[in-house]
Amino acid sequence: MLNTIKTSLRRCVQQPSRIIQLNKIENKTVSKPLPVFRYSISDERDHRVYVWGLADHGALGTLKTTMFDKGISYIPKPKRLVFGEKHDVTNITCGYGFTAFAVRSKDKNILYGSGINTDSQLGFNEMDRKFPNGLITEPRLINLPVKDSSTKVLDMAAGRAHLLVLTDEGLFTLGNNAYGQCGRPIIPEENYEKSRVIHHIPNIKEKKIKAVTAGQDHSVLLTECGEVYTFGWGADGQTGLAHYRNEYRPSLVKGDLAGQHIIKIACVADCVLALSDKGIVFGWGNSEYAQLFMEGENQQINIATELSALKQSGHIVDIASGGCFCMVLNNVGDVYVWGYGILGLGPEVKKVSQPTKIPSVLFGNNAYQKNTKVVKIFCGMSHLAALTNMGDLYMWGCNKFGSLGLGDLKDQYFPLKVTVGAQVKKVACGIDHTVALCKPFI
Amino acid sequence: MSAIRTVTKYVDDARIIYKALNGIVVLYKPPVLHFNNLRETVISNLCRELNDMHTRPPMKHVAIEGETNKPMKVVVRNSFADHPLVVGPRYQLNDFRMGTTKIMQKDVSGVLVCGINAGNQLIHKIKTSQSLRFYKIKGLLGEATDNYFHTGKVVEKSTYAHVRRGHLDKLCSSMQSTHQRKMFELCGVDIQSQAAYELAVKGLLRPADSNIPMIYTVKCVDFSPPEFMLEVVCTNETDLYLKAIIHDLGLKLRSNATCTQVLCIQDGLFNIKHALLSKHWTLQNIVTNIQICQNVINQNEHILHQKNPALIEPSNYIDTIE
Repeated sequence: MLNTIKTSLRRCVQQPSRIIQLNKIENKTVSKPLPVFRYSISDERDHRVYVWGLADHGALGTLKTTMFDKGISYIPKPKRLVFGEKHDVTNITCGYGFTAFAVRSKDKNILYGSGINTDSQLGFNEMDRKFPNGLITEPRLINLPVKDSSTKVLDMAAGRAHLLVLTDEGLFTLGNNAYGQCGRPIIPEENYEKSRVIHHIPNIKEKKIKAVTAGQDHSVLLTECGEVYTFGWGADGQTGLAHYRNEYRPSLVKGDLAGQHIIKIACVADCVLALSDKGIVFGWGNSEYAQLFMEGENQQINIATELSALKQSGHIVDIASGGCFCMVLNNVGDVYVWGYGILGLGPEVKKVSQPTKIPSVLFGNNAYQKNTKVVKIFCGMSHLAALTNMGDLYMWGCNKFGSLGLGDLKDQYFPLKVTVGAQVKKVACGIDHTVALCKPFI
Repeated sequence: MSAIRTVTKYVDDARIIYKALNGIVVLYKPPVLHFNNLRETVISNLCRELNDMHTRPPMKHVAIEGETNKPMKVVVRNSFADHPLVVGPRYQLNDFRMGTTKIMQKDVSGVLVCGINAGNQLIHKIKTSQSLRFYKIKGLLGEATDNYFHTGKVVEKSTYAHVRRGHLDKLCSSMQSTHQRKMFELCGVDIQSQAAYELAVKGLLRPADSNIPMIYTVKCVDFSPPEFMLEVVCTNETDLYLKAIIHDLGLKLRSNATCTQVLCIQDGLFNIKHALLSKHWTLQNIVTNIQICQNVINQNEHILHQKNPALIEPSNYIDTIE
């Protein structure tokens, strides 16, 4: 793409000298036949992992070829991770300064992680001594106590300092449990550094867990029959259990969720959104920035509430919730945002109290490309991402340490394409870094 | 058209026709011919046909003859100083000015919008309005040449059996959206400003600098390995830039590709249907074409005074060249 400009320019410069060379070659009469090269192409199952954002804490899994801003290293553009070539990465997740990679393999080594490990959210490994300050700067194996070597990772989620890994054998939780977010009893003054504790939750009341989501210090589980269970920090009502206390036992969320079949949960900090199979969105938790359309003094909602303001937005198919804003996607491909911060509606719009559509022309739907539409949306704490059916990734929001991948550190006020050299399949947004799981073009 | 033909039948004075030869004409440039050669051919055709008509008679030379001591005679006869056999034909190559919106190199063929004499002012306006050009570019998989065109020396060969239509489509759409991102960066306003947002919401934009190539669409329209055809909509492009797209695409496809044809099918408002083939580069056809083009311009005044940086929806868009 931009190579075209480069090669074009280079050729212009080389032009005169080339003509002289050509004349020389013609005199010699070359007769040797050219070899026919055969370049390797990717395998059907190959994935590429691209990373960008803050590199200093090691969450990007690499410290090479980084740029520096006030002594802090960062990668402002998507960079292909060698780890992704060597392993068959199937899933990724980003927590607050750490990343976990799920890998398909024949043995029990199905999980790798890199980044901040101060609370043992990436497990304990003897080899960690070579990394200073509890930072793991390259993807390192996380030993899960799985029984069968054919066990696969189904889903992952990461919060501020805890990691949830859902496998065929149940849920494993690692890291900080100060609020019960790991689903085990809270031990006061527990030392999480170099902790070897991995908690195992096989199922909830004999029901299999289908998906996991993590907020800042709480966890949300989704069972096969569409029920939502939460545990962890509840000070803002983010557990939805009708109280503001911490809870370590997975408990069924109270409120409007009864009888609804939930298919997706979205949460990054303390505002939780849940999507039902009928396209209805529910929310609970912090509503400081009117994310849950609450009027009056009450800024915390501790039971699930249906967001009726989204009725006009049509059938919702995807949801995302950031630190102070929320985003939904309907089945037509329209993206709606509300809340506070950089929402993608230009620099003058700081706060939106009603769901507002981001013009689809900003996602590449224009006169020459009419069939482009957004199919997936993702949120970090302060940056937003949308994926189109063409495999293009659009990002906007606060550009902390280049976490938008646009090549600079400037905040972006409307969606702009991130130049990833492959088709993006999934994006995991952390606080100040982003990881994308991609399919190679060929 | 028939009305115009009857008119030219009765007018046989070259001077009247020369005065009418002001305007825009759309020609179909064959490959291999450079624009300068094309210009020479067209103008010499015009000159030849004008010279075959009734041209201006030579100026009169007034002479007062006879013996000085007798009444003298005033003789008026044709001036030899103005005789075609002395000064050359009445209409010569230098009598025509011919410019174009885009100087086409040898390898490019297709629609070429030219201005004749006073028409060059219009050409200048169209040029500054940065109208879009539509190209069909053919590529050949499996080999790369040193000048990115099939005429060059083959520098590398590779296999291409693994390339599928889907691969090409994916790469093209990625290329296109990346160029469209560039568009926001080149539109001339700070990308963080409200103005940038308002421009972005309008859709496709023109670059502020007329030297920067900008591509709006790259689409694969035909794929029959080893050949494939792309449709490209762009502005400010150069032929090398288009050839380099094919070359880069070849590399990204894990193979090589070289360009075999660059065909312009539309330039701004004028498409290939308007264009005159080289066998029709005659006086009568050119006069007719000037009239047609004038009508097109009259209907679309906006192309001459471009005030809006956003592109207008493509109107008379053609899918096939046949």
